[in-house]
Amino acid sequence: MTKNFCGRTRREFIWQTGAGFTATSLAAMLSDDGFLENQLVAADGQTSWDNPLAPKKPHFPPKAKSVIFLYMYGGPSHIDTFDYKPAMKGMDNKTIDVKTFGRGGHKTQGRIVEPRWDFKQYGECGKWVSSLFPHTAEMVDDISFLHSMTADSPIHGSAMLMMNSGRILSGNPCLGSWVTYGLGSENQNLPGFVVMLDPRGGPISGAKNWSCGYMPASYQATIMRSQGTPILNLEPPTGMSQEVQRKILLSIKQYNEDHQKQRAANSQLAARIANYELAFRMQTAAPEATDLQHETQATHDLYGLNDPRSKDFGRQCLLARRLVERGVRFIQIYSGGNHNDANWDAHGDLQINHDLHAGETDKPIAGLLKDLKQRDMLKDTLIVWGGEFGRQPTAEYAKGTGRDHNSYGFTMWMAGGGIKGGVSVGTTDELGSRAVEDRFHVRDFHATILNQLGFDPNRLSYFFDGLDQRLVGVEPVAPIKQIIA
Amino acid sequence: MSRQLTTLSILLCLVNSIFAAEDTRPALNAEQVKFYIDQVAPILVNNCFGCHGPGSSVKGELYLGNRSDILKGGETGPAVDLKNPMDSLFIQAMLYQDMEMPPKGKLPQSQIDIIVKWITNGMQIPPDRETERPVALKSKYNTEINDQTKSFWQHRSVEPSIAPSVNNKTWPTNAIDHYVLSNLEKAKINPNRPADRAHLIRRAYYDLTGLPPTIEAVTKFIDNPDPAAYEQLIDTLLESPQYGEKWGRHWLDLVRYAETNSYERDGTKPFAWRYRDYVIRSFNNDKPYDLFIKEQLAGDEFETLTADSITATGYYRLGIWDDEPVSQKQALYDDLDDILLTTSQVFLGLTINCARCHDHKLDPISQKDYYRFLAFFSGFRRYGVRGHDTVQSASIGPIAVDANQALQSQMRQQLDKELGELDRTINNVNNRLQGLMSAPEKEDFKAIEVRVDIARSYVGKGFSKQLVDKYVAAVQRRQEILDTRPDEIAKTLVIKEIGPNPRETFVLVRGNSNVQAEKVEPGFPSVLSPPEPDIQPSVHGKSSGRRTALAKWITSKQNPLTARVMVNRLWQHHFGYGIIATSNNFGAGGLAPSNPELLDYLANELMDGDWRLKRMHKLIMLSTTYQMSSQSSKTGESKDPTNQLIWRFNPRRLTSEELRDSILAANQSLNLQMGGPSFYPIVAPEVLHGQSRPGAGWGSSTEEQRARRAIYIFVKRSLVLPLMANFDFADVDSSCPVRFTTTQPTQSLSLLNSEFANRQADIFADSLRKRSPDDLPAQIQRALNQVTQRRVTGEEINRGVQLVAQLIETGASEQEALKYFCLVSYNLNEFLYVD
Repeated sequence: MTKNFCGRTRREFIWQTGAGFTATSLAAMLSDDGFLENQLVAADGQTSWDNPLAPKKPHFPPKAKSVIFLYMYGGPSHIDTFDYKPAMKGMDNKTIDVKTFGRGGHKTQGRIVEPRWDFKQYGECGKWVSSLFPHTAEMVDDISFLHSMTADSPIHGSAMLMMNSGRILSGNPCLGSWVTYGLGSENQNLPGFVVMLDPRGGPISGAKNWSCGYMPASYQATIMRSQGTPILNLEPPTGMSQEVQRKILLSIKQYNEDHQKQRAANSQLAARIANYELAFRMQTAAPEATDLQHETQATHDLYGLNDPRSKDFGRQCLLARRLVERGVRFIQIYSGGNHNDANWDAHGDLQINHDLHAGETDKPIAGLLKDLKQRDMLKDTLIVWGGEFGRQPTAEYAKGTGRDHNSYGFTMWMAGGGIKGGVSVGTTDELGSRAVEDRFHVRDFHATILNQLGFDPNRLSYFFDGLDQRLVGVEPVAPIKQIIA
Repeated sequence: MSRQLTTLSILLCLVNSIFAAEDTRPALNAEQVKFYIDQVAPILVNNCFGCHGPGSSVKGELYLGNRSDILKGGETGPAVDLKNPMDSLFIQAMLYQDMEMPPKGKLPQSQIDIIVKWITNGMQIPPDRETERPVALKSKYNTEINDQTKSFWQHRSVEPSIAPSVNNKTWPTNAIDHYVLSNLEKAKINPNRPADRAHLIRRAYYDLTGLPPTIEAVTKFIDNPDPAAYEQLIDTLLESPQYGEKWGRHWLDLVRYAETNSYERDGTKPFAWRYRDYVIRSFNNDKPYDLFIKEQLAGDEFETLTADSITATGYYRLGIWDDEPVSQKQALYDDLDDILLTTSQVFLGLTINCARCHDHKLDPISQKDYYRFLAFFSGFRRYGVRGHDTVQSASIGPIAVDANQALQSQMRQQLDKELGELDRTINNVNNRLQGLMSAPEKEDFKAIEVRVDIARSYVGKGFSKQLVDKYVAAVQRRQEILDTRPDEIAKTLVIKEIGPNPRETFVLVRGNSNVQAEKVEPGFPSVLSPPEPDIQPSVHGKSSGRRTALAKWITSKQNPLTARVMVNRLWQHHFGYGIIATSNNFGAGGLAPSNPELLDYLANELMDGDWRLKRMHKLIMLSTTYQMSSQSSKTGESKDPTNQLIWRFNPRRLTSEELRDSILAANQSLNLQMGGPSFYPIVAPEVLHGQSRPGAGWGSSTEEQRARRAIYIFVKRSLVLPLMANFDFADVDSSCPVRFTTTQPTQSLSLLNSEFANRQADIFADSLRKRSPDDLPAQIQRALNQVTQRRVTGEEINRGVQLVAQLIETGASEQEALKYFCLVSYNLNEFLYVD
């Protein structure tokens, strides 16, 4: 660990300086740290530029190569989806003593809102799933459910930061940045870390949810759209033909090479020249990846592209599969955007809200799982589902079915990437008001994702502010063993 | 009788020996042994030992593997109270009262009963079942506060430093060169030759103003035979107002300057820009650095208040603010931690923040030092409590200190009339909305930041477009009035305390605001052998006076760190990296100084020169060292590839601000208007779409405003302009001592394809045509002059002429073709790099 402190600092220093370095001197500077040495693969094997996104080896052989995080923004109600609470049957409108904490503050009493959907058993494991997710329910034998999740905050702003970056304080790198920092990217023509947003808008706090915080911009997320220009500034401006662009690029290259001749030792200049080629290749690679035309009709249907309700999320799920095929490491898709009922934040009418969002996502999620499975990709693609918290068993207001936030207990699930199928871990109490058995914290959840990617979560660190920072925090954490195959 | 006595005495002896050996423990009987092994041990092994047993990391310093360590307890105190067993922390934690153990879930009552029984009956453990607490690995870092660590060079006051002698007597211009050359001579590396004049002037311009010279200025400088021309150039640049904008930005990086709060609403910090202007002004006025520190840390406690001393305290209000925290108490300490972190790293190069939960792991800074330092700030009112009005009351105050009362009231009356009308319009709509909104919307509406957006959503649903437009205009106009109020009645972001008596400060166990340990008083880190703080009540009676004591110590010439840290930053921004490269961290987690004697020399110079910075810039820039060429050399590369010894000048890429400003300078549209509220560049709709309320909190500015320098771009924490982010703009949430220099394809994409780059190329082409109509070679030449600031060769011009011709062949118009050439010129490495 102490070596890592030094290694990090030196690396920090290397990045910070604008000077060029030779590969040998870099290696010598970092030779006391094996992990960092792994990060020194030069971009093309010739230039000594240290490409921060070159593929790197994790600590041990990984189970998952890529992660798709299906982010249910707003906080889906666990007791209405996957956390079956038969004891609540017939309890509607009963006032009971229960401790809750949401945006409405701390309460000790509440009026029960009985789960509004019927549950049925599915799969060989006999998992109870509500009628909100009939298609996803068919895949329960491939899923591990975590029913005892807990988080530090029941308020969107800080809770989302926690789910994405491990802390409730703004300014920390998010999960996708950690993953690309640790693993680099398999495909230099595509970004390593992709975020796709809901057509209704971004989530609360916007770009803070995919920020690289104190890490360099190389690890920031790229917003990708499934329709239109996939990436900001990817396409030449209107009027600039491809031929014109090629001539422009050639001219830039000629000038830059002349300039570099007298500055041969400055590898940054070479790297910048190389990056124009990379940018040009990205211009072809990204539209190719987002072009769904050549996918079969059956595939389109499988993802729900034939249904106006699910077509947007479906396109994004299908695009996610195509990105994984092309070596993209970390993809996060947001279901829900904007505020209130434009996402899972069911403060008003629970039924209208969850029917809408489950209806939009159920088929695409099931399609993604089935498709990955039939292509034998599920084994090394980790699928993660959940929001920043769950919802309370009781009503938020005197009237209606709206539920307030609940970070005392909620459900998330994982599938593929070396995760067991047909397993449910942890429980909440009989109302789902809080986790009681096998409680897990967001950091256990993050540790599990990192573990599947081949990292010891307690060793993946980045030196900043005088501290060895980790996604999972300073205290050692273990991945959730019960769900690891 | 005697026999009985003997037996008794033997018994007594036995009992005594047991007492002596094992405290008060009687020997265990078989039943007790069995009870522990069969019932107690499995519970401990399965639920507790993972964190508190053999082989564990001994979390919270609590070890449960033997009786005496359980009684000793951990960071939160003894785990078991044998006299009052039910008061034991161990049992309370199991019952989930305050603390919750084990964290995975409450134990079944039957198991809790077993533990309670065990503890009530004296907590017996068979000796052969007891294990020793694992010994923590000894750190290789020297973290004790003792004579040895107190004598570390950076913990001792700066001593006079004598410049070393050198063999080459002709090379040095001033003392700096002696320090540098002496090391180079030892390493047998020849220093580079001087840079040519064209490179030197470009370097000097960018370093001091962040802007390129004009080609005319370069030519004049090259052709000027006066040996004093370079010195005159430096004087001119230091006097230019752009100097403050360049060096002020370095300071803004350090104090994590931003104009919003982050989190859900990411609301605007009122008048944050006044702090930005204060910083620029201070650099331009060559304000002594010690005064600059005093104003920011305690300007509100000055006996004679000034507009600067009040505005400067906005320093404390620049951080992130969660307006809806999980716990108000924890949030207060998070806020204070952010201020402590920034203050200790920025002014002292110390990471005191690492000692929040435990003693520092690398440096001799104790947890108590942390809380004693925190106590200087413990009288603070939080930035706000929830809504905008609470921010107004806690963090906004008047600037004017001695303005004419009559004039003030007259000005106010005038503005209040208009404000009153605007407020009527605004309140009318607000009230009507209350009647229409759903309960969740009402909840959102409490935040001022979202009101316009919500009002817009009611167009056609009870509101006419006309009314909503009027509402929006009124909100904007109101802000404008508040922003542009004359100084006499202007307001700004300030620190306010709860009164002359601050909150008590306690060491918090593991940084947890709910677990207080020992009470502490303000104090400086003890390893620096500091005096006791001299705290006098503030003359204004509104604050504790503690920060004045802090500022006094930080700016004392005996403080071993302040001057060293600042001159290191000056060096860093002139040479690319500091003498200590980790410029916020002079401790063991940082890097060692490459030339400590030089650092001390400069520190002395700063203090002896009345803490004035311009003098230091000049000293550094007049050195032969600074004027070296950036060319590489074989010996240099092989012996010192990272240029630690400075055998050449380090070439560097432009910062994000310099790049944007230079693009505008090249096409001559740069607007040098200084100060005032920030402007909003155009942000692509797909970027705004990432916000939960697309476009919220992002205004619009005129084209003229958008052509101002990048330091005046509105800094919104959740929406950093992509061009700035791609070119490594400072992290907006934490102190940023050194910016990264990344190289990535998104940079190329934004300089080739972005609306901004293409629009500027268009303007560039226009300006060329106007200057040299119908003369393509002249236009190309001028374009290259504008981006490289040097004389260009015929071959280079020719290449451009040919490109234009080729583009026209492929169907581009003449106009487009020249624009594309301008785009090429914006993408040249020579444009983006300074030699």
